[in-house]
Amino acid sequence: MAGVPLIRFAAGAEGGVERFAVHDQAALGHASMIGDQVPAPGAPGALDSLLLPTPPLPHEPGRVREYRLQAIDREIEVAQGVHFAAWTYNGTVPGPVIRATEDDLLRVRFVNGGAHPHTIHFHGIHPANMDGVFEVVDSGDEFTYEFPARPYGMHLYHCHTTPLKKHIHKGLYGAFIIDPPEPRKPAKELVMVMNGFDTDGDGENNFYSVNGKAFYYAKYPIEVRRSETVRIYLANLTEFDLINSFHLHGEFFRYYPTGSTDFFEYTDTVMLSQGQRGIIEIDFHHTGKFMFHAHQSEFTELGWMGFFDVVD
Amino acid sequence: MSAESGAARRPTTARWRLWAFVPLVLLVGAVALAGGTGAPVTELVRSNPPPADEFAIRRVTFEPGEIRIRVTNPQQADLTIATVTVDDAVVPYELDGPGTLGRLRSATIVVPFDWVQDDPITVGVTSSSGIQTTEAIPAAVETPGVSGGSILGYGLIGLLVGVVPVALGLLWLPTLRQTAPEWLAAFMALTAGLLSFLAVEALSEALTLQAALPSAVGGAGVVLLGFALSYLTLTLLSHRLGRGSAGSAGPLRGLALATLVAIGIGLHNFGEGLAIGSSFALGELALGTFFIVGFMLHNVTEGLGIAAPAAEDGEAVRFSRLAVLALVAGAPAILGAWLGGFFTSDILAVVFFAAAAGAAAEVVLEVVRFVARKAPGGLTSPHVIGGFLAGLAVMYATGLLV
Repeated sequence: MAGVPLIRFAAGAEGGVERFAVHDQAALGHASMIGDQVPAPGAPGALDSLLLPTPPLPHEPGRVREYRLQAIDREIEVAQGVHFAAWTYNGTVPGPVIRATEDDLLRVRFVNGGAHPHTIHFHGIHPANMDGVFEVVDSGDEFTYEFPARPYGMHLYHCHTTPLKKHIHKGLYGAFIIDPPEPRKPAKELVMVMNGFDTDGDGENNFYSVNGKAFYYAKYPIEVRRSETVRIYLANLTEFDLINSFHLHGEFFRYYPTGSTDFFEYTDTVMLSQGQRGIIEIDFHHTGKFMFHAHQSEFTELGWMGFFDVVD
Repeated sequence: MSAESGAARRPTTARWRLWAFVPLVLLVGAVALAGGTGAPVTELVRSNPPPADEFAIRRVTFEPGEIRIRVTNPQQADLTIATVTVDDAVVPYELDGPGTLGRLRSATIVVPFDWVQDDPITVGVTSSSGIQTTEAIPAAVETPGVSGGSILGYGLIGLLVGVVPVALGLLWLPTLRQTAPEWLAAFMALTAGLLSFLAVEALSEALTLQAALPSAVGGAGVVLLGFALSYLTLTLLSHRLGRGSAGSAGPLRGLALATLVAIGIGLHNFGEGLAIGSSFALGELALGTFFIVGFMLHNVTEGLGIAAPAAEDGEAVRFSRLAVLALVAGAPAILGAWLGGFFTSDILAVVFFAAAAGAAAEVVLEVVRFVARKAPGGLTSPHVIGGFLAGLAVMYATGLLV
């Protein structure tokens, strides 16, 4: 048919010239975006209270560690310009880092300032009546959780009110570190809670992050020193998706699952199911900017991506 | 006496005419009052659902290294573009204006992106409230810009699917003129059948398209408006033509009826051209040999539909008149292809498909009126019934090819 080549001509889609042009302009590809060009919410240092834990305290059995957690319904910016009606502990998602040394007596006063009933369910070893399952705290009420901190390792806490999916994906969770009696060797310590946000309520996450803001550490890379071990307390609190992962570029690390033993794996990628967590220790060989991200490409490109800026 | 009463009535009439403005003034007052107290009313009812916050994605076009997304805010409340995704990945983008859109305001999002030729691709726009609107494109193809080549290309598409088949169909005229009257009636009925088919098809298309429009601009009312507009215009036109040819108000016949059929078909082909042009521009259509041949076969029957009433005239029709008929019926496909190929055409497509349905319905009525009065055996002869059904069957069968 005479018509066919003419129609191709009209489409102008098959020429080699156009194909090369496509690749010429690919410099703005988003996977490698870093710094100011990154669409990320928040100011520099905005997530420091979640990223940088308080230093560990020496072993002192019976010492009381007090925390106060308040449930607050609050709108938070989870991706550039995108606001999410979150349920938070103390106003942030994830909630504050709770830290104790093994054999400390933890006393966590929980005040429910949200519109719905909530609890706090801690991972670890504790009596059944401190488990945050049966002691549902109604809106306006409060409850104090009290139990000895054990075993040492990287743990987590979250609301255990039904419907569970709703109470967790809305943002009621956080990191819970119990330090061993024998202190870990000194390191630059960081906390990273992997999570996702279903902003349109369809049961699938629209954005992913560590510590609650998509692409935040791509816009503001985390500066670390090559001479110093980097220790990351990593937890997966992503809802809806069965697993999440952590992958580091250009380097290997020691991964201690749950951080409760000396056992570690030497790798550059770890996979965590919902509720799984562990401790990563990195000794960087090289300076420069090294990417870290979920090795699920989709999560990476929806916000779970950042950089270490390794300097001398 | 009568002059006096007339003079007495006049001021009264004027007063009552002025009275017509009173409801309008009161309406403005009522609207202002309700608008000012809108929030307390909502408070009383205690129901204030959040806005849907979904965008209407009007058109997605592809250029080398770039995707352009045209979005409209279809709702009452303002809507803010927060993030843009391509295939579930957040991408940097630029806007041609402010990111917050008022009601029915539009913006174009420009995304630098290395898209892959012929691959399916999904773009998403997320509002500041986190609601994501996505649009799946079956195959990414570079959108033809306005150039000499593409103008010629779309023109040729329109020519091939519109003018050529109609002109070929018209070539049956001499054969039809030799046909016995009952068989000519059968062909007239066939014309009515195929036009009925086109009317239903166009109406269904118009209703489908309007459902996809932002509800603020769409609505079945637009379809009714388009339908009524063309139906009534053609009614008026047929009335004029009928008087002109016969001098009496009898049923329209011969060349006049053929002209009306051509106008109805022309409107339909305009809509068809519009649909082909925009689908092709947006990569929704693989325009191959098969497609062109299918449309040609489909539309050749339209030429037959015009030829049948013309044959009834008995006297020879000048070639130039036939050429004009072919252009009236076929050339709108060229215009439609251009419009659909180069511009956003969703509302236009609804109006034109509705107009095509209205025109086809009116012409069916004219043909039926003619057959009822003039054909041997009237409407109930087996030739007429068979012809009508054959018209539907032919359109259905050739439609399968497209």
